[in-house]
Amino acid sequence: MKYEHCIRCTICVENCPVFRVNPAFPGPKQAGPDAQRFRSNREKSADEWVLLCSQCKRCEMACPCGVEPAQIILRAQQKYGLEHPHSAAHLLFANNYYLSTLGSLTAPLANRFAATKIGKKIFQHMGIATYIPFPKFSFKTLRGTMKSRSRETRKVAFFYGCFINFYRPDIGRKIIRMLQSFKIDVVLPPQWCCGLPALGNGNLALARSFAGKNVASLSNYVDAGYDIVYTCTSCGLCLLHDYQGIMEIPGAKKIAENSYDLHEYVLKLIAEGELKPQFREVNRTLAYHIPCHLRALEIGYPAANLMQLIPGLTCRILDDNCCGLNGSYGFKKVNEVTALQLGGRAVSLIKKTGAEAIVADCGSCRMQLAGLSGMDAFDPAEILCESLGIKDKK
Amino acid sequence: MSVTEYDVIIIGAGVAGLTAGAWLSGQGLKVALVTAGEPTACLSTGCIDVCATDDDPLQGIAHLPHEHPFHLVPAGTIRQALDDFQQIMAAMNMPYTGGLENNRRVLSAIGTFKTTCLTPVTMQASPQNENETIHIITFAGLKDFYPGYIISRFKNASFSTYDAGASTTMGIAANFEDDAFLEAFILWLENQHVREDKIAVPAVLGLESAAAIIKQIEYRLERPVFEIPTIPPSMPGRRLFNGLKDHFRRKGGMIYWGWSVVGVEKTGRQIEAVMAESQGRPNSLNARAFILATGSFVGGGLEAKRDTIMEKVFHLPVFMPGEREAWFDQDYFSMNHGIGRAGIAVDSSFRPVGCPWDNIFVCGAILAHTEALKNGCGHGFAIATGQAAAKSCLEHLP
Ligand SMILES: Cc1cc2nc3c(=O)[nH]c(=O)nc-3n(C[C@H](O)[C@H](O)[C@H](O)COP(=O)(O)OP(=O)(O)OC[C@H]3O[C@@H](n4cnc5c(N)ncnc54)[C@H](O)[C@@H]3O)c2cc1C
Ligand code: SF4
Ligand code: SF4
Ligand code: SF4
Repeated sequence: MKYEHCIRCTICVENCPVFRVNPAFPGPKQAGPDAQRFRSNREKSADEWVLLCSQCKRCEMACPCGVEPAQIILRAQQKYGLEHPHSAAHLLFANNYYLSTLGSLTAPLANRFAATKIGKKIFQHMGIATYIPFPKFSFKTLRGTMKSRSRETRKVAFFYGCFINFYRPDIGRKIIRMLQSFKIDVVLPPQWCCGLPALGNGNLALARSFAGKNVASLSNYVDAGYDIVYTCTSCGLCLLHDYQGIMEIPGAKKIAENSYDLHEYVLKLIAEGELKPQFREVNRTLAYHIPCHLRALEIGYPAANLMQLIPGLTCRILDDNCCGLNGSYGFKKVNEVTALQLGGRAVSLIKKTGAEAIVADCGSCRMQLAGLSGMDAFDPAEILCESLGIKDKK
Repeated sequence: MSVTEYDVIIIGAGVAGLTAGAWLSGQGLKVALVTAGEPTACLSTGCIDVCATDDDPLQGIAHLPHEHPFHLVPAGTIRQALDDFQQIMAAMNMPYTGGLENNRRVLSAIGTFKTTCLTPVTMQASPQNENETIHIITFAGLKDFYPGYIISRFKNASFSTYDAGASTTMGIAANFEDDAFLEAFILWLENQHVREDKIAVPAVLGLESAAAIIKQIEYRLERPVFEIPTIPPSMPGRRLFNGLKDHFRRKGGMIYWGWSVVGVEKTGRQIEAVMAESQGRPNSLNARAFILATGSFVGGGLEAKRDTIMEKVFHLPVFMPGEREAWFDQDYFSMNHGIGRAGIAVDSSFRPVGCPWDNIFVCGAILAHTEALKNGCGHGFAIATGQAAAKSCLEHLP
């Protein structure tokens, strides 16, 4: 939140995907540091356009001066959310897991997805409470696992996130099998939505309530010597940045210090010599779409480092374009055109690479890109598992 | 097998850092580049200024003051580095025209001419004097581009306005990537019955396909078309940055965004690792050698305090042009602000003078005595010193 450091260079503006296609949004410089000079806690905010920011954080990654336009706007969004009645869509997305409400919207995009297998599943999940146990997976209790393992074993508490939980538990199971094949003990701690959708819809109170529960739960695991591993890059960003930042959750620092992106974690174990995975040939040419929030995690692109170790694999990194969906953002009527235009552009660049399939860490990116391109979209973990011969046994 | 340890880490994603990084990757080294944000290239015209003090850039370099770091780069390396650059950009579908034999002029948005050396192919047809006849296209609602400035200086110039359905440079440029949009634009342009010899368009003709787009328009309108660089946001600057960035990646380099280096680990005469701020655990990356390419004040490599100037990453000794009174000239627009000479002084191996560590190499605008503005040695200098520092780094790699 260092708006005084802005030198008005407009680099953030060039990087803002929404500004590029939606003239109603004044862009990160104006919506962020410029407007901040005039914002006052005593005045009610009238700028509804703050909600048009998708919180992709691209402006922050580009700013050479350490100004955090997205953070400034996020706070303005929360203030706006507090002062104005929430629209139905905002309430829906904030209160329920965002993808499970997809089918209730009439957006053509939503309909397209609704016609797919995933879409049908989404309908089934309509109206279901936010926390749903991981399907077909038996939870190990904390006490049970502590008894059964020696001190030296690496222990991981897996924060799988909503997307995997609801739609792709198969990927979740593969990740668990992969970690187990590395002789790592994996448990699934009680967990709730990370809170990002609530935050993104201007409902700070709800976001904080999810976050508080997650911190309390995960904290026990950290104390018991577990490392927390997340796989959804938006969950990760929320756990690491927002819990400590805007949500001000007590104890969040401990969670941030002990949480790892899945690929960052595997990479770390390899670097420390604990792990020597035997990657076998995978003959694929992939376009690696970097999710905005992976970039914003500031940990580099660890899955790209890992995929470099796989013989036969060619992987082109694409990180200049937002897929446009941004979690629940693209499903809102006002953002539909923005989402489609940005998605179309991301897809056309992917097609130019000549890749046969897409790989992306974020479930909603994959959904958007696969939907718009007709190509397959994989989680990088699926590629690692393919190389390691790990399959999803039902 | 080490996966997070690199041979070389480059700090800064400017023209200098990306050039050095790609060259070292090309030599088979494992290279990472860490950066706080995007570089000054994104603010630039995209033209490559080598040295603008003489019609012949090499002559210009020869006459720079003896302490100027350009003298540390052998003429062969300057030539090689710029040749390599032109090949790289051609492979990225954004060819550059011109050569080291002589400088050329590019028409600016205020109607003046800028002296530069290499220009993006989209500016190849830029007029060389005010007598050429040009027709300027502008876009409805596009701020900061007023054809009037140019028309008032040219003997034969006129303009017409197109409604692109977007009013920002980025928005219009993105529209041009769409074939249907381009076709509609060309049809409209054909209908303007342009009589002048050349057609001028502010630099919004696409993002990655600009070269092909301009070719298409030229073919249909049967006359040269050229782009006029705009004030930031500058598309040609961004295309330059994107081209160098993609090339670095294709050579196998890794980029870490949002990685403002705030600390280092060292043992004896070696830097072992650089560290970035993080919300959780400290982020650190190890390497055998480091190339500092964090730019000058705008880039973020140097910071002026009340009465001292700091180098922000390694706290290297900074050459300062005397006391604070000597930093600024009376005239704000003067080219002689002493502060333009501030920076890191290096020896012939591009290692900082008076530095306690042996594995740091420095290139680009952060070098002392560069005076990029005054001498017109911007990207060209960054490219040349980038390659020279990379070569030295390879030679001295511990
Ligand atoms: C407004 C403007 C317009 C210009 N126009 C032209 C032109 O038209 N033609 C021309 O030839 N030259 C031009 N120049 C000059 C040219 O841009 C530079 O001289 C040249 O590109 C030098 O680049 P560099 O790589 O040394 O540094 P920079 O481009 O300054 O890049 C520095 C990089 O280092 C990063 N960085 C800084 N501190 C840290 C840190 N602590 N940790 C990690 N990363 C860090 C920054 O984020 C940035 O990516 C222009 C300069 C400016 C300011
Ligand atoms: S916020 Fe940063 S990138 Fe944006 S105009 Fe200000 S200094 Fe430039
Ligand atoms: S977070 Fe993304 S959408 Fe919001 S202002 Fe920044 S770049 Fe634009
Ligand atoms: S960020 Fe992760 S936990 Fe949060 S809603 Fe998305 S998938 Fe679920």
